[in-house]
Amino acid sequence: MDERKPPLGLILLALPLLAFLLAPVLITIPISFSADPYLSFPPSGWSLRWYRAAFTGGAVLDVFATSVALGLVVTALSLLIALPAAMALVRLRWGWVSAIESFLTAPLLLPAIVLGLAILIVFAPLGLLATFPGLVAAHLVVTLPYALRILSTALAGAPLAAEEAAATLGASPLRVFWRVTLPAIRPGLAAAAALCFLVSFDEVVISLFLTGPRLSTLPVWMFHHVENEADPLVAAVSVLLIALTLVIVLVVDRTAGLSRTFVK
Amino acid sequence: MTAALAVAPTTPRGGSPVRPAAGPALLAAIVAVNLLGFVVPVLNLLRLSFLKVEATGTLRETFDLSSWQAILTDGFYAGLLVDSVRTCALITGLTLVLSYPIALLIHRCRGTIRTLLLVLVVTPLLTSAVVRTYGWVALLYDQGLVNGMLMALGLSAPLRLMFNTVGVVIGLTEILMPYMILSLLAGFGRLDPRYEEAAMTLGASPWRTFLRVVLPLTLPGIALGCLLTFVLALSSFITPKLLGGGRVFLLATEIYDQAMVTLNWPLAAALSMVILAMFGLALVLYGRLVRRIG
Amino acid sequence: MTATDAPGHLAIRGLTKRYGGFTAVDGLDLDVARGELLAFLGPSGCGKTTSLRMVAGLVPASGGRIVVGGRDLTDVPTHRRDMGLVFQSYALFPHLSVARNVAFGLEMRGIGRAEREARVREAIALVRLTGKEEHRPAQLSGGQQQRVALARALVIRPQILLLDEPLSNLDAKLRDEMRIEIREIQQRLGITAIFVTHDQVEALTMCDKVAVMNGGRLEQLGPPLDLYERPATPFVASFVGRINQFRARAAGGIVGLGEARITGAGPAEGPVEVMIRPHRIALRPASAPVEDAEGRLNTVAGTVARTTFAGDVLHYEVAVGDAMIGVEEATRSDAGPVAPGTPVRLSWRPDDTLLFAAVARDGRMRP
Repeated sequence: MDERKPPLGLILLALPLLAFLLAPVLITIPISFSADPYLSFPPSGWSLRWYRAAFTGGAVLDVFATSVALGLVVTALSLLIALPAAMALVRLRWGWVSAIESFLTAPLLLPAIVLGLAILIVFAPLGLLATFPGLVAAHLVVTLPYALRILSTALAGAPLAAEEAAATLGASPLRVFWRVTLPAIRPGLAAAAALCFLVSFDEVVISLFLTGPRLSTLPVWMFHHVENEADPLVAAVSVLLIALTLVIVLVVDRTAGLSRTFVK
Repeated sequence: MTAALAVAPTTPRGGSPVRPAAGPALLAAIVAVNLLGFVVPVLNLLRLSFLKVEATGTLRETFDLSSWQAILTDGFYAGLLVDSVRTCALITGLTLVLSYPIALLIHRCRGTIRTLLLVLVVTPLLTSAVVRTYGWVALLYDQGLVNGMLMALGLSAPLRLMFNTVGVVIGLTEILMPYMILSLLAGFGRLDPRYEEAAMTLGASPWRTFLRVVLPLTLPGIALGCLLTFVLALSSFITPKLLGGGRVFLLATEIYDQAMVTLNWPLAAALSMVILAMFGLALVLYGRLVRRIG
Repeated sequence: MTATDAPGHLAIRGLTKRYGGFTAVDGLDLDVARGELLAFLGPSGCGKTTSLRMVAGLVPASGGRIVVGGRDLTDVPTHRRDMGLVFQSYALFPHLSVARNVAFGLEMRGIGRAEREARVREAIALVRLTGKEEHRPAQLSGGQQQRVALARALVIRPQILLLDEPLSNLDAKLRDEMRIEIREIQQRLGITAIFVTHDQVEALTMCDKVAVMNGGRLEQLGPPLDLYERPATPFVASFVGRINQFRARAAGGIVGLGEARITGAGPAEGPVEVMIRPHRIALRPASAPVEDAEGRLNTVAGTVARTTFAGDVLHYEVAVGDAMIGVEEATRSDAGPVAPGTPVRLSWRPDDTLLFAAVARDGRMRP
């Protein structure tokens, strides 16, 4: 790699732009410690009342529990469904592999607002609205393409010769997969799991169509709360979410690499 | 023994842990989810746009063009369409200008600094749009940070930065910047600092080097970033809804209102098809542009 | 029990591999007797690796049979074939220690812990890696990784040991060492083995028999000495060792070469390929006295066109009529190189003249 330093002018130009990019995320931190009963900046005093409210108010804990459970179930199912598919796409040298791949990642191209409406209309007569299985199914539509892409990349980089070596040493196809392939793609699995969880946990537009008073998710609850009363409660919840996001970003960086996952 | 040695055709068998015959079984689950959660709903949406909704809210299963008629003849929808495209084009342009220096800086950095900058870009990308829009509410509303600072500088009355198009443009620009930055970075692969050094040894000023060497080399990344940003702006819903406060009408918010408030599913479906058509149009334009850039 | 039923005997019959319209291996027939080391030798793309992978079951055969010890393995999946394969890239499991790599095949066979540990210890000692048991593959040198791969393949006591260009990733000195070591281990265990290589030195020095392959076909199968002295085809003659090759015409068993007439074993009439190994030719200045009074040698006159000093040997290119003949002589302290332009006399034994019916090919010396 070259040793050239970026020009000073570029740094001076980029720094305020980075500040603009981070401003809305950063401002939630001081507001979350506000002592005021309403949104104001700077706050007239500091307190932990909104964190207390988040952890003691039943509504937040309910939707948080729903979102975590949803994220975990969706993540587990995404890996279970996408891994065999990625195996088939990477290991079988079919002529139409890239066509199948495009077809399977197509849901990512569709605007969430359109996908949400389309799913609402199909799920409504099936009684899946405001139900946990309904949300799981809808989230899978968007998490599976991510999982498929990351796992395919991981599998394509796994050592084929080591799999063949295991077969010559007497390992059946299932044991080759378990003992050689799976350990080799562990970083890809971690990255896929982290992203699937985050996509599901943060999903709001599709969920808006599928939730109701009976069952809601954290982002949907936050959306309605901001729509109605923008008090610092949302800031406290936001800070917790940002921390979670940061952890997941670091997991992805340590496992699959940020550049490789986000810059193609 | 002799029989075993006789030359006979054999059935193929792979050494790979995946046998070709297993392919369909391995793909069955993901294809099922794709069909039931994507293909069928989208086709059904297309069908629905040709149905009629009664005043009572029930759907009638007969062919009907009233939704499409409304979109094509009602001045409100024509205005909505023009407004949406204009606003999204403005957002795309702003996003490009604000993202380009950041992308260039990341491209020039190596090691820890590069990773740090990438974390700063990717973290907002992965942070819920609701959280970031809430941050913009805190920044832009009448008693927010920006107005607070402006008043401290001597402004007598707060600027209206929310519940209008200004707020939506500011919020969406920031929210879409990570996508633009990552697209630009992907396109910067061809940009080698040696080209710039070569241009400068040939007597080009830094500004002319940028215009004549850097910019042309990064055009493919710019085109990709603009396509992505425009398409995402057009389909954004959370930010226009919260920062527009019901006073800014864009295609995506109208789809939601028709579907969830007015309960006119056929019209919402037809408007969805309009968004998809505009996606297609943007893709075609992008394809032409890329071919011209070469 | 016939010979081909003996345990450890590999019989290949009509083995064929087609990829679409392309035939990678075309009707391979051969036997490897128990305890024999056979080389598949040929240029890249000749089908040698594909043949090996078919024997291992990693590539399905399009036709033909693979029989080991009387048991037809053609349709048996890889993991039930009981063959030890050493990969060109070693293919060690990166996430397992040396000991766990070697133990892998034993675990797959459900062998008990005590026996497994004993056999792993023994195999690691066999390849002289005792003390490295807990290292990861990435911590080992190329030569050490090679030994682990060998131990891992041998510890399962396979019926056949398959080696796919095992030395090609090692440097020259290590390659010489490993050549001797692999051969020693193979002979000590008395295991049947196939060794794929494109390096004729490896094939000639290590193996009991060599199968020379070209374009998916078996050109010649035999002991190294036979291949060298009695090549069956011009391809074998030129691929194994260095050789002069040029076109001439035979009539009544006599071949015209420039002004001279020479003899050799081969077709008596028509266009022929003449092939002579450069170091079997003696080069004397034309002025020197004739030593071959009886006229038993083939002798031609020519002019030295180029002289190259290469330390151990002198290379000459000698113009004889239209042809250019390469000659190699050991350097000597009592005689300097013959200068270009010097008229010389070349002579060699008629037995060293290889004659083949001519096929289309150009007439230059091949390396």
